[in-house]
Amino acid sequence: MTKEEEVKVDYSSIEKSLADLWRNEPREGEKPVTRAALWNVVAHTWEKEHHTLATETLGRASESVPQRSIIIHSSPDGEDDISSWISANCHLVRKEKQVCSEEIAIIASGERIHHVPPLVSALLIPDMPVAVWWLGDLPGEHGEYVQALLAPADRLIVDSSHFDHPSDLALVARIAEKTTTSPADLNWVRLEEWRAATASLFEPPRMRERMRAIRSLHISGPGGSFGKTAQRLLYAGWISAQLGHDVDLDGRIERGEIDFRLVSDEHAKSMQSVEIRFSDDSVATIHRDRERGVLITSVDGTHSTFECVTRVLSHGRGDLIVRQLKRPESDRVLLKTLPLAARLARRVA
Amino acid sequence: MTTTAVETNPFREGLEQERMPEASCLIIFGASGDLTQRKLIPGLYSLAHDGLLPPGQTIVGISRPEQTDESFRASMREAVEKHARAQPVDDAVWDNFAKGLFYVQGEFTEPEAYLRLRKRLDEFDRTRGTGGRRIFYLAVPPQFFPVISKLLGAEGLVNDPEMDGPYTRVIIEKPFGHDLKSAVELNRVAVSTFRERQVFRIDHYLGKETVQNLLVLRFANGIFEPFWNRQYIDHVQLTVAESIGVEKRGAYFDSAGIARDILQNHMLQLVSLIAMEPPVAFEANAVRDEKVKVLRALREFPQTGLEQLAVRGQYADGSVLGEHAVAYRREEKVAPHSRTETYAALKVFIDNWRWADVPFYLRAGKRLPKRVTDISIHFRPAPYPLFNRPSSVRTHPNVLTIRIQPDEGISLKFDSKVPGPTVRTAPVTMEFRYATSFGAEPPEAYERLLLETMVGDATLFARRDEIETAWAWLDPLLQTWAGDGAAPEPYSAGTWGPPSADTLLERDGRKWRRP
Repeated sequence: MTKEEEVKVDYSSIEKSLADLWRNEPREGEKPVTRAALWNVVAHTWEKEHHTLATETLGRASESVPQRSIIIHSSPDGEDDISSWISANCHLVRKEKQVCSEEIAIIASGERIHHVPPLVSALLIPDMPVAVWWLGDLPGEHGEYVQALLAPADRLIVDSSHFDHPSDLALVARIAEKTTTSPADLNWVRLEEWRAATASLFEPPRMRERMRAIRSLHISGPGGSFGKTAQRLLYAGWISAQLGHDVDLDGRIERGEIDFRLVSDEHAKSMQSVEIRFSDDSVATIHRDRERGVLITSVDGTHSTFECVTRVLSHGRGDLIVRQLKRPESDRVLLKTLPLAARLARRVA
Repeated sequence: MTTTAVETNPFREGLEQERMPEASCLIIFGASGDLTQRKLIPGLYSLAHDGLLPPGQTIVGISRPEQTDESFRASMREAVEKHARAQPVDDAVWDNFAKGLFYVQGEFTEPEAYLRLRKRLDEFDRTRGTGGRRIFYLAVPPQFFPVISKLLGAEGLVNDPEMDGPYTRVIIEKPFGHDLKSAVELNRVAVSTFRERQVFRIDHYLGKETVQNLLVLRFANGIFEPFWNRQYIDHVQLTVAESIGVEKRGAYFDSAGIARDILQNHMLQLVSLIAMEPPVAFEANAVRDEKVKVLRALREFPQTGLEQLAVRGQYADGSVLGEHAVAYRREEKVAPHSRTETYAALKVFIDNWRWADVPFYLRAGKRLPKRVTDISIHFRPAPYPLFNRPSSVRTHPNVLTIRIQPDEGISLKFDSKVPGPTVRTAPVTMEFRYATSFGAEPPEAYERLLLETMVGDATLFARRDEIETAWAWLDPLLQTWAGDGAAPEPYSAGTWGPPSADTLLERDGRKWRRP
């Protein structure tokens, strides 16, 4: 991937400057350029260091999912100012064609941040879906600004591993319920291999019959802040959702009798293992084999046993974003899971 | 595609691998052959790599050479390293995959081999949870189909789908016969042991993403179907061009020719997908019912004047992609006076309500300038030439091109005004390229087809009546060519075929699109 040099442009004529950028003929020896976009991706951050991270992540992601990236760094407390830059992220396809995606950076501060949502709205490529990637904790203030920024979003991408309170999960669940923006959670994408491994565990017909006999679930992972627990809560919420259990507002399971326990492992950096105990006291486990980069499932007390291996996919932010954007439709399973995970979170809190 | 195999696993919902087949034994006859090493095992490994194979999936190779499970695994590892899409090979995935890889030595004609196979399959049913589900992949020349089918049946390795019990399926590879008679015989043999719904005939073109996208393009978009008929379409062109010659397939190819090798199967599959009516459901028999109707509507070749509709050629010395290319007759294992065609171009009509009098021009050839498969739909010009008076503006018909390989994609050509004070038009194209929009390389056709067989969905496989109808249409042409004593028209390697192929279209005031 190559990144063209950023050009500072007048924020009122960004679209014109982009058109000029594409009109430039390729220099001698350069491959002809194709401009491509499947998404508008708006990355928003309050923190300067997140701005660089968003730029790098979306630059890499645009190789797999071409997009117009709009990266916004807003500082409500600074002096009134707004400035913008444009650049192109290019990569070679089959060593022949240069495919480029556009990147627009906007830095706003003070009162001028309120100019950002209408500016973004004008910069979105028509008829292309819009994803807003919210970096860091969810906003508790500047409601009007946030609402305006989220208004055109088809998808809101968050990372619940950065949440600091159960109410954050509930907020995302509410957005899913009350608006047309469907949420996506990078932490949920990280769970995909655990979900795949669990599905494999229950693949043989004889195991399918035992799903209703699950009595307890011990999920081990890192302890500490709420964000570190969020993934395990999502897993527990997912199990409940897929088995058709109800979880009441206090986090108690109304149908089904699964005893969920989140086991903290101080040394762990991510989810480590799941132990599933059945009514006949037999146990199935899924554990991470870090050395081999796989999850391994095993079952006790079944007629025939063999290991099942699920490859652990990359958890780099760019890869997680790509996996998210490659899904054109909203994630119906996450939508079912979120409210249950949010309710289970209250019990943890 | 429909899910037919298993009760839903709620934990699969929303996962990439939402349709997971039940574990089965896939038995490959011809395990030491080229297809197994280049396509089948690498394809199966790539499926395992992507988490698309069920736990306990078992693969058994059967072939003549003496080998152990271990040595078979070692040779398959090499094949995977060379040919699998998913690279580099993931050791953890391979180790687990290899645990389900076994070998049985045996001659296909030797009943004891089937006894040994049966013992091992019974053992896997007990130890690996394969539950008696069996898929036999006949990666062998068609002359072995009868004996393998017979001995599988005799050894009780085939379950009748009419009875309760685990499924048995068989996958067979083209060529599905040499002519109508042999195809009918082959199908008769197949269904003497298996029922038609157990037979999965692979035409790997149907496993290609772009070929499947043909159906999506036509039936998931509202804008195309209203124009997809004789009222708006002037003609259709199909090109299957190969830059290579016959390579090591000289002996086979010389007995077949391009019409049997490409036209009877791949090209007619493409024609039926372009021309078919919307199926009532995206389900195996509904799709295949519509495809076979197209084949039945193909206009028969006339007794006389065949040269107005069909051209055959054979490559002579020339140059392809900057390299010297020897004439076909000097290729290895090709008869020095061979009359086998390496190029064929046909003008074809589909006599039905939608396509009456719309010519479909098909051409397939070896040693053409480049490897390309595409379909172009040429629309009728605008009804009134508004812009060519008073100036001499020339407008161009719209062309929708579907590129099957390489660089898969779709483009639409239309006229646009050239900026300036006078009205001048120039053709421009709107392009969609898979690689540009979706990045990653699409899965290999075989991966998709193997998975579909495990799931039990035959939508992407040819049905008996498709094969026989295609042969019934093509046979008279082949017989005429075989009996007329004429040699195919020579063309220089590296050109787009013999001059008569151009004349075929020029007579109609048209010309081949340059792919």
